[in-house]
Amino acid sequence: MFLWFARRVSRVKRRWGVISTETVDRETAVDTDESWVREYARDHVAHLLVVAAFGVYPLLYSLLVALGGGVAGAFLPRPETMTAVFYFGLFAMSFDFISGYTGYLSFGHAAFYGTGGYFVVLVANGKVPLLPADTPFMVSMVLAGVLAALLAVVIGSVSFRLSGVYFAMITLGFAQVMYVFMRDWGFLSSNPRDGVAVSNDLHPAGFEIGIPGVDALNLAIGPLRGDEIEWLFLDLGATEVSYYMVGLVVLVCYFAMQRMVHSPFGRVLVAIRENEERARAVGYNTFRYKLGAFAASAFFAGVAGALFAGVRRSVSPDNSLYFLVSGDALLASIIGGFGTLAGPLYGWLFDRSVVEFLSKTGAGGGLLPLLREYLPGSVVEAQLVGGMTFGEGIEVFLNGHAPLYLGAVFVAFVVYVPGGLLGWVRNRLGGTVAKQLPAYLAKLRR
Amino acid sequence: MLRTRGLTRRFGGLVAVDHVDFELGGDELCSLIGPNGAGKTTFFNLLTGVLSPSDGAVELRSDDGDGWREVTGASPAETARMGVHRSYQITNVFPTVSVLENVRVAAQADADTGRRFHRNVGTFDEHYEEAYGILERVGLADRAHATAENLSHGAARQLEVAIALAGDPDVLLLDEPNAGVSSESVDQIVDLIEDVATDHAVLLVEHNMDIVMNVSDRVVVLDRGSVIADGPPEDVRNDEDVRQAYLGGYEREEEGTV
Repeated sequence: MFLWFARRVSRVKRRWGVISTETVDRETAVDTDESWVREYARDHVAHLLVVAAFGVYPLLYSLLVALGGGVAGAFLPRPETMTAVFYFGLFAMSFDFISGYTGYLSFGHAAFYGTGGYFVVLVANGKVPLLPADTPFMVSMVLAGVLAALLAVVIGSVSFRLSGVYFAMITLGFAQVMYVFMRDWGFLSSNPRDGVAVSNDLHPAGFEIGIPGVDALNLAIGPLRGDEIEWLFLDLGATEVSYYMVGLVVLVCYFAMQRMVHSPFGRVLVAIRENEERARAVGYNTFRYKLGAFAASAFFAGVAGALFAGVRRSVSPDNSLYFLVSGDALLASIIGGFGTLAGPLYGWLFDRSVVEFLSKTGAGGGLLPLLREYLPGSVVEAQLVGGMTFGEGIEVFLNGHAPLYLGAVFVAFVVYVPGGLLGWVRNRLGGTVAKQLPAYLAKLRR
Repeated sequence: MLRTRGLTRRFGGLVAVDHVDFELGGDELCSLIGPNGAGKTTFFNLLTGVLSPSDGAVELRSDDGDGWREVTGASPAETARMGVHRSYQITNVFPTVSVLENVRVAAQADADTGRRFHRNVGTFDEHYEEAYGILERVGLADRAHATAENLSHGAARQLEVAIALAGDPDVLLLDEPNAGVSSESVDQIVDLIEDVATDHAVLLVEHNMDIVMNVSDRVVVLDRGSVIADGPPEDVRNDEDVRQAYLGGYEREEEGTV
């Protein structure tokens, strides 16, 4: 099936010269003497490399920290941070799916993230009618996505009558209405302003990711109630298990979104971004396409919110529904690359790495603890201007100022790397990484 | 193919299109001319559904012969799906994607496969084939992989027509396909217009009178929203009202040169 698919694609591309003659020669060779497994592997070498890198990361991290101590810890984000990068990265990707591909800035996207988060926590607390407290997490997660998608259809059918900055403002308005409502709704918990936590009486078990109903194929996530695995030489703690299980869901969601982006539907979204008037004039009912894309995007935002609440076992209005949550998704998209699907995840990874590196305590260590530990006494005592020592200087400039430096980084990105990290890489390679990397590697091998 | 009955559009007190009765035949190349502000573009917008008429009706007859269908008030997407496609006076394409993709996405709209979200776009061979065929027809095949915004003005005008053609139109509305094209490249576009007119009903807006007189089967003159002349090119050329509209009060002095 894959062979047939890949051949069909390469045949069309060859005929219309989508790929250069040099690649054609190699592909002809593929058709004759290579199995489809190798061809498929080459088409996806970039994906495989990224997944492998994320796969070995926690092991590599513990290995390097064990060997290098504070130095490695200062530069590498902790697996806990990486788990947060996964679920928030998924949210940022879903934001980019609508904003980067159709050009409609969904500034109220936090509404869908919050919907997902609140939904799974309320289900676990038995507060959602028809759904018992012991509903499997996988089921409530998918339902959270569906609910978010339905909400998107409602919000979108009003908002898509507008465009540009008005669209951004009206979606923001909807999200803020929801924020205020959920902050003051006494049904949710005794103190809705502080959010809702999963009750340990009603739902003592951790949230499990896997195939619902099959006990052996489920692993619980979360720092306290997560499962631990010992298998051969591997010894994975709750943190690592959460990392892998959340990462797995995010990977599946990424491939689902990527499939949509590269489908005829995805091309229509790009056409809408490029020139909506012409897209209408060639015969697309753009309103329906935008609404469909918005619902799909909201579904994945809902799943991301569910993962977020699942790991933390709680959700609050300020960390899920507030407009700055959408702002973070926008930040991640711009740093990672607007209109590139994977970009926002890398953008958020970059952002979190910088924050952790500059944070004042940094449980895994950061720049400041590193300097405190490793700078020789003579340097620390050295006098700078105005009687301030070097040691005092680094305290003043580094202690708790991560957001300040991050702001500067953000400005630099907008000005100097307008395409974002992934956009820049694509520009350098002359195409998407998945397409260009195999040829690039082949050149290196020669 | 396409006709209007008493088509009227008012903007406040201004009547941009005033009770226009017009019919375009099946394989006709009809030119629509008129001084600036005569209402030509408004008329186009009424035909394609960008604007809805204040009064009157637009009707369409498809090839299968099931009579006239009223399409008044249909949206641009709906009129396009019914076979009315247009090109724009000011180049209006998808700028950052390839020339091929510009045409392919329009062919995809016609085939109504845009809702497929689970299969790779590369498996829809037929759209690539159709798009490539159209690019060959308009003479852009060698530029298929260029980014649309990097095309020269003349090539962009060809692409403009190619996108309209990709919708497999019954009626093709061309809004000044020659706008801004240098005199050397005009012939290329004129050849293209004559070529597409062989198998489509074409309504052409054009300012260059030489082209209008050469290519048209019929010329319709619009002035201040009304049709003031309608007939073969020679007749319209000698029509007194048309001279009045174009030349105002100066026709006596200009008589010798026109």
